[in-house]
Amino acid sequence: MFTSEFMPLALENVASEAAQRKSDGWRFVQLLAVADNTGSGDRDNAVDLVYSYMKDGRLENLVVKNVAVGEDEAKVDTVPSITDQYLSAFVFENEAHDLFGVHIANIAIDFAGHFYQVPVREPMTIISPEQKEAHERAAKMAAAKAAKEKAAAAGKTSGADAENAAKPAPKSDADIEAKLAGLPPEKAAKIRAAMEAKAAKEKAAQKGEAGNE
Amino acid sequence: MSKATIIPFGPQHPVLPEPLHLDLVVEDETVVEAIPQIGFVHRGLEKLVETRDYNQFIYVAERICGICAFGHSLGYAETVEALMGVEVPKRAEYLRVIWHEISRIHSHLLWLGLAADAFGFESLFMHCWRLRERVLDIFEKTTGGRVILSVVSVGGVNRDIDSTQMDEILHILDGIEDDYRQIMQVMLTDASVKNRTVGVGHISYEDAVSLCMVGPFARASNVAYDVRMFGHGGYGELSDFRPLCATEGDCYARVKVRCEEVLQSIAIVKEMAAKIPAGDIAVPVKGSPAAGAESANILEQPRGECYYYARGNGTKYLDRMRMRTPTSQNLAGMVSVLEGCDLADVNMIILTIDPCISCTER
Amino acid sequence: MSEFGLGRMTFGSIFKKPETVLYPFEKKPAPAGLKGHIVIDVNQCILCGICQRTCPCDAITVDKPNRSWEINRFQCVQCGSCIRACPKKCLSMDPAYTSPAPHMHTDSFSVPDPKKEA
Repeated sequence: MFTSEFMPLALENVASEAAQRKSDGWRFVQLLAVADNTGSGDRDNAVDLVYSYMKDGRLENLVVKNVAVGEDEAKVDTVPSITDQYLSAFVFENEAHDLFGVHIANIAIDFAGHFYQVPVREPMTIISPEQKEAHERAAKMAAAKAAKEKAAAAGKTSGADAENAAKPAPKSDADIEAKLAGLPPEKAAKIRAAMEAKAAKEKAAQKGEAGNE
Repeated sequence: MSKATIIPFGPQHPVLPEPLHLDLVVEDETVVEAIPQIGFVHRGLEKLVETRDYNQFIYVAERICGICAFGHSLGYAETVEALMGVEVPKRAEYLRVIWHEISRIHSHLLWLGLAADAFGFESLFMHCWRLRERVLDIFEKTTGGRVILSVVSVGGVNRDIDSTQMDEILHILDGIEDDYRQIMQVMLTDASVKNRTVGVGHISYEDAVSLCMVGPFARASNVAYDVRMFGHGGYGELSDFRPLCATEGDCYARVKVRCEEVLQSIAIVKEMAAKIPAGDIAVPVKGSPAAGAESANILEQPRGECYYYARGNGTKYLDRMRMRTPTSQNLAGMVSVLEGCDLADVNMIILTIDPCISCTER
Repeated sequence: MSEFGLGRMTFGSIFKKPETVLYPFEKKPAPAGLKGHIVIDVNQCILCGICQRTCPCDAITVDKPNRSWEINRFQCVQCGSCIRACPKKCLSMDPAYTSPAPHMHTDSFSVPDPKKEA
């Protein structure tokens, strides 16, 4: 059984780590880039780089977080190439440059942006509308969950009297909103419309009852 | 000293099954430098993971490559299962190994045929592909597809192989094995094969290790590395597994390693078929991968170790899916082995590396 | 001796049945589970639209107001995920392949309304 681990790596240690691993007899497995468009990173236009090494069934993935990429020469981070240690990395370094715009210096076999024939620059860093929506929904869900927990905690502290605690908490609007956040927008809109219709109906029914009396 | 000339080779070339371009710098008949160029079939399948949910992407993953179709769907499913902490039933693991090994037989037979075609042995090519056709018939009967099988799902497999089908598989494999031993005899002893392969494209053990080569290409240089030896998934149930290696490191050794691996795969299928437990073939998978969860996985494809990486974002869509295919790892080895070879041997050397460019570019 | 290894095999195949079939005149029998094309039992369908949502290649369109179920045969990849997802089990796989056609077209099925009939 092999084990797979993820561990952080600082950008300035990329080259020294590669040299160290090489002398310890590790095998370079791969280098990949992940466009960090979750909005969690403190810089926009950043990618994470994952360097994987393997030795005796141990697969170690070293993650370099938030490497700034793009066309602005002054802002980007320059990543040292590890092709001086591991020649087989040239494929991945060229790929990271062409698809993600990562600036890598001194690649042994450098294609200077012509490794992949792509019609647009750095196609993998473009955030598709679907992905943006997915991220927004995930963020909303997380926020709603946090709000719910907060509300529950608040309810617990304030609801000291037994009567309040015994009664099942009424379904609050926050609860429903939390559920709606997880649904696709068109569906959520449908449910909202249905809820409004129901509320209107109830109101009308109440009015009717009042009229009857 | 003669003048250096650059000969463009590929992406369309009679012996190349794949769109690979090489700029060969030659002096007389000797290649002094080879510069590879890929990127003709980049389709952006990794980007597609953002618009297909993790269950749907399995059908995209297996369309990355027609030969390792099953392997890619298996590797992807295992990665997502690791991401979500799904435990696959034992029977599903066995079935996955059986199909994966059968697809290895199919891939190696295809490759042996192509190699025979490359050195001009037409009838051997026909015989290899005749056997491969029977392997495809097994797929057709058990999964309903010949190349794109669509049997793996996240959490297990979609179809079961019942005992009558299993007996039929073993019967067909017995027939293949008889014929295959004769073909292998020719592959390994025939003078016309040896003339083209022995001593050609030699790569030493030290070079193979330092260039991080994987798969049969590395094993032909005596690097005893095969992901199956870690016993991941159903491979852990095998009574004995040892990577098959050769010491010569030339084209002949690569032919030999692949030839022997076919017999090894047949043995694995037989063992798994005898030991397969009864039970469920899939578990229902609910929920979605957590935001920021990462997982990495490796798998032995017919061409070598394949690396998979996935990152979730809290929804049913993944943030990133990555496949590092064996060929991209072997490109550096290919460049270094081409330096100093004869121009006439270039096609033989490239074929014995078994490049799969459409896998590499995705 | 080994030189004759393949020769023996090739020579032997003279007396064997050919491995190939004369395709347009003779067809290989399709095995039972072959993935040919999707068929729908319209009487069972409840037009829930789950098949449309699970389809990885957007081949299925379910139109609930007009009570129709459409499939684009040329977009379908025969993965079978709709069959597994269907809650009423009204979809199944038929072993016959979709025949080639000069244009892509969709097959439309109208789903009868059980309430109207009753």
